[in-house]
Amino acid sequence: MKPSTSRPGPVLLGRRDFLKTSGVAAGGLAIGVSLPLVAGARSDADASGANTEVNAFVHIAENGDTTLYCGRCEMGQGIATALTAAVADELEADWDRVTVLQGDADEKYGPQGTGGSRSINIMFTPMRQAGAAARAMLVAAAAERWGIPAADCVAENHRVTNRQNSRTLGYGELAAAAAGQAVPDDPALKTPDQFRYIGKPLPRVDMGEVVVGARTYGADTRLPGMKFGAVRHVPVMGGRIVSFDATEARQMPGVIDVVRIDPIDDRYSSLGAIGVVADSTWHARQALDKVQVDFEPGPHGDYDSAAYKAELARNVEAPAEPVHRRGNLAAAFESAATRHGATYLGGHLSHSPMEPMASAVWVREDGCEVWASTQDPAGIQRTLGTFLGIDPKAVTVHVMMAGGAFGRKFKCDYVHEAAALSRATGAPVNLTWSREEDTRTGFYHSLSAQRIEASLDEAGNVTGWLHRAAFPPIASTFNPSVERPSEGDLRALVDHPYGIVNLEVESGHAPAHTRIGWYRAVYAIFYGFAINVFTDELAEQAGEDPLEFHRRIYRNNTNSEQKELVERSLGVLELAAEKGGWGKDLPEGHGLGIAVHHSFESYTAMVVHVELDGDKVKVHRVDCAVDCGLVLNPDQATAQMEGAVIMGMSLALYTEVTFREGAVVNGNFHDYPILRTQEAPREIHVHFTNTGARPTGLGEPGVPSLAPALVNAIRAAGGPRHRSLPIKPMKV
Amino acid sequence: MADTLKINGAEHTVEVDGAMPLLWYLRDILHYTGTKFGCGMGLCGACTIHLDGQPTRSCLIPVSAALGREVTTIEGLSPDGTHPLQLAWIEHRVPQCGYCQAGQIMSAAGLLAGNPSPSDAEIDAAMQGNLCRCGTYTRIKQAIRSVADDAEGAA
Ligand code: FES
Ligand code: FES
Repeated sequence: MKPSTSRPGPVLLGRRDFLKTSGVAAGGLAIGVSLPLVAGARSDADASGANTEVNAFVHIAENGDTTLYCGRCEMGQGIATALTAAVADELEADWDRVTVLQGDADEKYGPQGTGGSRSINIMFTPMRQAGAAARAMLVAAAAERWGIPAADCVAENHRVTNRQNSRTLGYGELAAAAAGQAVPDDPALKTPDQFRYIGKPLPRVDMGEVVVGARTYGADTRLPGMKFGAVRHVPVMGGRIVSFDATEARQMPGVIDVVRIDPIDDRYSSLGAIGVVADSTWHARQALDKVQVDFEPGPHGDYDSAAYKAELARNVEAPAEPVHRRGNLAAAFESAATRHGATYLGGHLSHSPMEPMASAVWVREDGCEVWASTQDPAGIQRTLGTFLGIDPKAVTVHVMMAGGAFGRKFKCDYVHEAAALSRATGAPVNLTWSREEDTRTGFYHSLSAQRIEASLDEAGNVTGWLHRAAFPPIASTFNPSVERPSEGDLRALVDHPYGIVNLEVESGHAPAHTRIGWYRAVYAIFYGFAINVFTDELAEQAGEDPLEFHRRIYRNNTNSEQKELVERSLGVLELAAEKGGWGKDLPEGHGLGIAVHHSFESYTAMVVHVELDGDKVKVHRVDCAVDCGLVLNPDQATAQMEGAVIMGMSLALYTEVTFREGAVVNGNFHDYPILRTQEAPREIHVHFTNTGARPTGLGEPGVPSLAPALVNAIRAAGGPRHRSLPIKPMKV
Repeated sequence: MADTLKINGAEHTVEVDGAMPLLWYLRDILHYTGTKFGCGMGLCGACTIHLDGQPTRSCLIPVSAALGREVTTIEGLSPDGTHPLQLAWIEHRVPQCGYCQAGQIMSAAGLLAGNPSPSDAEIDAAMQGNLCRCGTYTRIKQAIRSVADDAEGAA
């Protein structure tokens, strides 16, 4: 049987096919599963045909050892654990006998981009089906062995029991015979009350390795004969290296080569850089400092992000390009009892994972091998295929644990550079960017300006809403002629959560002057901020409690297509308010703020408790309410929300990348300060609504709610109304 | 002057330029990759090791300054991964991406070695140099607290 299928669902893999697809020679039972195509996948990996190929599989060996092969990239969000739980549960496996193996880049694993909190949404059901199919086949094999009906056999904890006489057979003993059984078309899945792993707080499968320093990341790859690289980039997008002098650098200890890396015709190309290869990272960096480089800044050499933000802030006061109109906004404004308008601003953000961009590449005559912290291994195959002029399939990508990614490690410019250094020297080269290069050579979160104007009637209901947004969109990175957000980019505003009847959405002109990329939660960060802070302002204007105001706004949404949105938004709003003690008495200088937002199909609300001491902001406690449907692993989901709170606080308070004369001014954690432990809330409480809906991801949706809840809390505590993030920018 | 240093109990003869930061000597020359690079400026704590028992940023210490001294890295904190903090880290499911955690654990271990039952403020002070972009601070503090409380209970 070929390991391909014309229909979705589990299939049996023969021994040879299994060997071919997994590289493991083994008997036993192997069940392949094809994962559906990803609509609107962020990864532009060529996913065509991926839905007819087997791209993940479960293997039960004849000794009972069970392995899940899976192509998703593990980035700390516990995806591997969650998917293992899905398979193991349906399989009735013993948790301790199941291991999970990370797949290398290969079409067989399907679209491998990890992002958009999609992995869980897409893979959950197929993984369960694979487990259920294997269980049914093991049961059928046992029934045949005993000559009894399958109904008299029950699978439990890696064994099948004969109900007639209580004898048992282990999965390992049955695996070979099970492989001779028909694969059920539509295996019965468990009901939630039968789950033993799904929805339980399972530890991540790799924690033991992490705490002894044995977990290896992209930066940790070590090979015989390995050399180490360092790079200094062209500091301005579209700039170029005019000339360089490496005479002194070449004399430095340990130096093997100095290499000029030019951009290639690929969307994730290096910006252009000078690279040094040496016997250690330190020698490479020391020598790099001695290279004299003459850069030409190019068309964006004047970029000044502070001036640009001010310009966009002015521009959004005036009409821009209409994207969506419904109802009669002019009439609504005309007959308003109250009108209010405000402008919200945000700066560029750098992902700044603790592990900077890092990979090891070995370019050989017969192809190329890559060890990378990456969210998009197929993207690496394509980029290096272009760079080396070889078939992308000749590029083998080993997906290493990423030391944080947050969207940045989709873009493989750093792998292109490591490949250039390896090709020049013939050695395997590990390239770990310095923190300064990491901060200064990003694909940044968009700087943004938004203008909202709204009208209220006598009863304090919102009757009209104008939302004008100007920010350089991500599409500009791939197509510089895109100079304003598209209707798709503005979709979250068009599908306004309040079901506004008289609505206008406008797109402001905002050409990009740097590379723009996906940053955890993407545009939802500034949409969630503007909508929630503006709503708090409206409540203030109406003299109403913000929670009451929010409730009414959602209840007034009569758009029948938004029924689910309203219910789930209200669900998290109420839960956060209740758990966060909304309305309780607080000492002077303390305040509670609330915000609710939905993105990536999940819903989050937060209540933030702050204390103001002069201009010091202390966050005492955050209560997060989450509706991500069925919670697969409450502990991991909780961890994701805790992380979102911390990243949300960093971007609300401090982080902003500033450009002057085209180049990033910030360099390291002193001038791009992420939140430190003493500022973290001592209490973060995460609560789930447990609606039982289809599970949706949580990597991103927690981020947007924090900043507005925090800013609203500052106001409630008697502080100023902040409309620009970060509220405490560093002077750089 | 000695040209050797001890790493996790094993003697090493240093054959590199003494100006090389200990971090890169560990990572690139000896391939002890458990100690991580995050900033190179003493700002993030990812590279924290113990030098004669004291938590130290290995990115700032030249190898020459470690000669004749004892270096402990995360790989050598305990023989079998059962230092109370390592166990607490697993029990409290601290790591997300895990990249910062070697440094976090080494800083915490240094704190508890000198002060087995620190106050919350002392924990903050000892840990403020260790950044975590994944945002595991709350759990780190709980894990340290649990070990400190156990020590107090035993005392
Ligand atoms: S790498 Fe040493 S403190 Fe950051
Ligand atoms: S766990 Fe990822 S940086 Fe701390």
